[in-house]
Amino acid sequence: MTTGATLERLAAGEVGALVVELDIGRAWLVDPASGREGPGEIVVRDGIVEAVTWLEGDEAAGVDPGGVVVAPGFVDLHAHLREPGNEDAETIATGLAAAAHGGFTTVCAMADTTPALDEPSVLARVRAAALASGSPVELLAHGAVTVGRAGEQLAALGELADAGVVGFSDDGAPVGSAAILRNALAYVGTLGLPIVDHAEDPGLTAGAEANDGYVATVLGLRGWPAAAEESVVARDLAVLADVVRDVPGARLHLTHLSTAGALDHVRRAKAAGLPVTCDITPHHLALTDAWLAGARRWAWDAGDDPWTDGAVVAAPYDPGLRVNPPLRSVVEVAACLAALADGTADAVATDHAPHTSVDKDVEFGASAVGIAGIETALGLLLGAVDAGRLTLARAVAALTVGPGIVLGGRSRRRSFGLVEGAPADLVVFDRSDRWTVTPEYLATKGARSPLIGRDLPGRVLLTIADGRLAYEDVSA
Amino acid sequence: MTADEIRRAVVRISHEIVEKQAGTSGLALVGIQRRGVPLAQRIAEAIEEHEGARLPVGALDITFYRDDLSMIAQQPVVKGTDLPFDLNGLTIVLVDDVLYTGRTIRAAMDALVDFGRPQAIRLAVLVDRGHRELPIRADHVGKNVPTSREEVVRVHLAETDASDGVEIERAPAGYGAPKVEAVG
Amino acid sequence: MSLAEPIAGTGTPIATGTPEVDAAPETQSVPWPHRHLLDVDGLSADEIDLVMRTTDAMREVLARPIAKVPALRGRNVTILFYEASTRTRVSFEVAAKNLSADVVNIAAATSSVTKGESLVDTVRTIEALGADMLVMRHPASGAPYLAAEIFGGSVLNGGDGWHAHPTQALLDLYTIRERLLPAPGAAPRTATASGQLLAGRKVVILGDLLHSRVARSNIWTLTAAGADLWLCGPSTLLRGFEAWASRGAAGRRFTVTSNIDAALRDADVVMALRIQRERMASGLLPSLREYAARYGLTRARLAAARPDALVMHPGPMNEGVEIAPDVAVGTNSVITEQVTNGVAVRMALLYLLAGVKS
Repeated sequence: MTTGATLERLAAGEVGALVVELDIGRAWLVDPASGREGPGEIVVRDGIVEAVTWLEGDEAAGVDPGGVVVAPGFVDLHAHLREPGNEDAETIATGLAAAAHGGFTTVCAMADTTPALDEPSVLARVRAAALASGSPVELLAHGAVTVGRAGEQLAALGELADAGVVGFSDDGAPVGSAAILRNALAYVGTLGLPIVDHAEDPGLTAGAEANDGYVATVLGLRGWPAAAEESVVARDLAVLADVVRDVPGARLHLTHLSTAGALDHVRRAKAAGLPVTCDITPHHLALTDAWLAGARRWAWDAGDDPWTDGAVVAAPYDPGLRVNPPLRSVVEVAACLAALADGTADAVATDHAPHTSVDKDVEFGASAVGIAGIETALGLLLGAVDAGRLTLARAVAALTVGPGIVLGGRSRRRSFGLVEGAPADLVVFDRSDRWTVTPEYLATKGARSPLIGRDLPGRVLLTIADGRLAYEDVSA
Repeated sequence: MTADEIRRAVVRISHEIVEKQAGTSGLALVGIQRRGVPLAQRIAEAIEEHEGARLPVGALDITFYRDDLSMIAQQPVVKGTDLPFDLNGLTIVLVDDVLYTGRTIRAAMDALVDFGRPQAIRLAVLVDRGHRELPIRADHVGKNVPTSREEVVRVHLAETDASDGVEIERAPAGYGAPKVEAVG
Repeated sequence: MSLAEPIAGTGTPIATGTPEVDAAPETQSVPWPHRHLLDVDGLSADEIDLVMRTTDAMREVLARPIAKVPALRGRNVTILFYEASTRTRVSFEVAAKNLSADVVNIAAATSSVTKGESLVDTVRTIEALGADMLVMRHPASGAPYLAAEIFGGSVLNGGDGWHAHPTQALLDLYTIRERLLPAPGAAPRTATASGQLLAGRKVVILGDLLHSRVARSNIWTLTAAGADLWLCGPSTLLRGFEAWASRGAAGRRFTVTSNIDAALRDADVVMALRIQRERMASGLLPSLREYAARYGLTRARLAAARPDALVMHPGPMNEGVEIAPDVAVGTNSVITEQVTNGVAVRMALLYLLAGVKS
């Protein structure tokens, strides 16, 4: 703990236990709901936020945003918790523990389980697993758009909506066809829920391994063109424009966008008033395709050519870096950071995608695709904040009110700010306390995070969800 | 040894070689890289001077025959082998600057027999410093120089170094008594 | 070769006159520090020069009545090829045996790899069976780096996916060096201080650049040697190379063009690459006939190059497609020398890798 912040509470160390008494003194509060941030104090009693006090004048002296920060618990719109069907890679229990470790108190699970979450019974299984885990982290879920995510027949959209899903997605894959997308947008548009599309043209990405660009050419990896994302985003927006004429409530959310072109399309669509939102992953904001060559510079420090500016410090082809969409060039990542800063991107969503070591520790082209990044998300965003590419307020908003808007009221949380009288959903982290990413420290089962060995800012000290303890740092 | 002592030793060795062979026919000299090569040349020139016959001279690089490759961090220089004559039936006189543990000579003999079947192999060295680890002895010795293992024998020849000379030094600090063969 | 002189370029520290200790082998100014050889990108000009000179020594060994030295006696070299390739696999086997190593040669089609054993497990098994060195070829770019992560000995990349083929690039360089540069005695056949073995020489790589690991490795070594490098082929097979050419390989630029006449004009070396039938199926080319007509290296096209230009090909060749049969066996062709040099280069690399303390 740094410069005068205090964290006092009754010893109640078990995950899930009600936080009876917690006093946070002289910390930097960030309230994205009101847009206010500054020195303050928080009092929690019996799981409820009793008081949020902003300090002024002399009392505020010495409290700055570089130390302990308190924010509303983060919301992840996009995580793969693998249960049911692939519990070797992650279970709902380990996934929620990882979420809490990352400061998240609300997580939306994707529907690409086995069986797919295409009807309410699977949702019930998922909810039962969450309950059994004892984690207070809120688990929400997306339903599949099509049966089995096969892209042919619409899933039980209405029944799933009634059962409480927060959106529909065939993620892992794009929605099968423009026709299916059109019908799904229209159908769920009357239910007040979004279609969440993973924009990718499989025709352009067959066998693709890495971002189509200079690094992939030198490394001899099959290129994954930006056009594969941009073209589908353009198509999806055109379809959306069509649908809203008949169904004004239709909503489209584009997940894990990674290219300047796609974000430009969204920017223009929003300006034209189309009901579209989008998110970007932390790794697409901080890592570049140069990491495949063995470079380890953050996007904001990276030069144009990893082989000339001495950036290569690790072995190339780390399969931990294989992800969909692929890590992009410095130029694209800069566009993503700019889109997040200017609000074109509404949220940061982790696309937490754990895999077993058996599936990951293989040659790059055969490696399972995905980064298990829910615990390192905050660290990467704070890196961008430290580098001046993002404000702290914007980073927190992208993790709270931004996704909150996309959820459209389906969370148990009435607000995604620091609100008196509401059950406590809080994350407390220390920006000055750097931590090293190690497999032992991570709660996820997901193997081979590409950030192993890296040093990140912003150790999470405490996560409280729904007034109960979700995570407490014991390393001090 | 001074330059003059080296010169005299070379001349004496060249006479001994011819004496042992009772003539110059059937003889060839093979110098062991690196400094054995110029020595072999000098001996051949001395024999030519007093016998009128020019013996064939070859160079042998035993780098690939070392028994201690894995024990050294840096690669030894590969200097080149050139045996421009048929060894079969010849008496080969191996020539080297310093005879120490004998491992270089063992490696040289292994190399030679890969080229053919000599009638006999003899050994001429400028300096014998003792401490044999193998049953090898020189037929012709320029000078016997008893040394301790910590000492280092430095041979300079004008063809490769600034001038001629042989010196003994205590090993420089940090070097220590070599556990591996002195070759080269 | 003069007897008193070592091979041109070696032994430089001794020539300065500083006395050498007699108890240790003469070490040179350029040690070989690499435990693995996975690509050529990281080799310095001095290290490449060392490989060239060591290859000279290995060629001398190959010329002996008994072309064998005991340098790798007692070492186990396991060759693990996941792709069918007789010539390279045998070339490595011959090289290892010439150094007296014990060789185990695994062709993946017959091993448990076809039963689904992972690369990691296979490498661990090979190590447990006593392998000191692993020579591998794999269809996935980057696979040898994964092997190097877990293998305790040395890994030598015999070709990975589209990425690298270090021994091929080095034997190509050696072949060019032998032919283009004067014999020792006339001028030293060694790198100058700036590493410019091929300064002023135009070298053209012609064909399917996109899928070629031979090309990618050659880009590094040829530009490092100072060559004026041109890549030429149909634009679908040049995808991505313009971005690399304009940045350069570690800053050394080269030229990319689809204009074969411009590429071949006054070339000193033309390296033709194999074009595979599969490229038609993936929609990259209309037909082999069209490729042969527009990019095939015929005698007529070769006339634009210098009269003494070298014609090279990594093999196996599709005669009549990327290279005309008469060009393949013509006087400009050094293709068979590439094969012979390949054994010597591989001997040199196995020898250098074996000397590194692990």
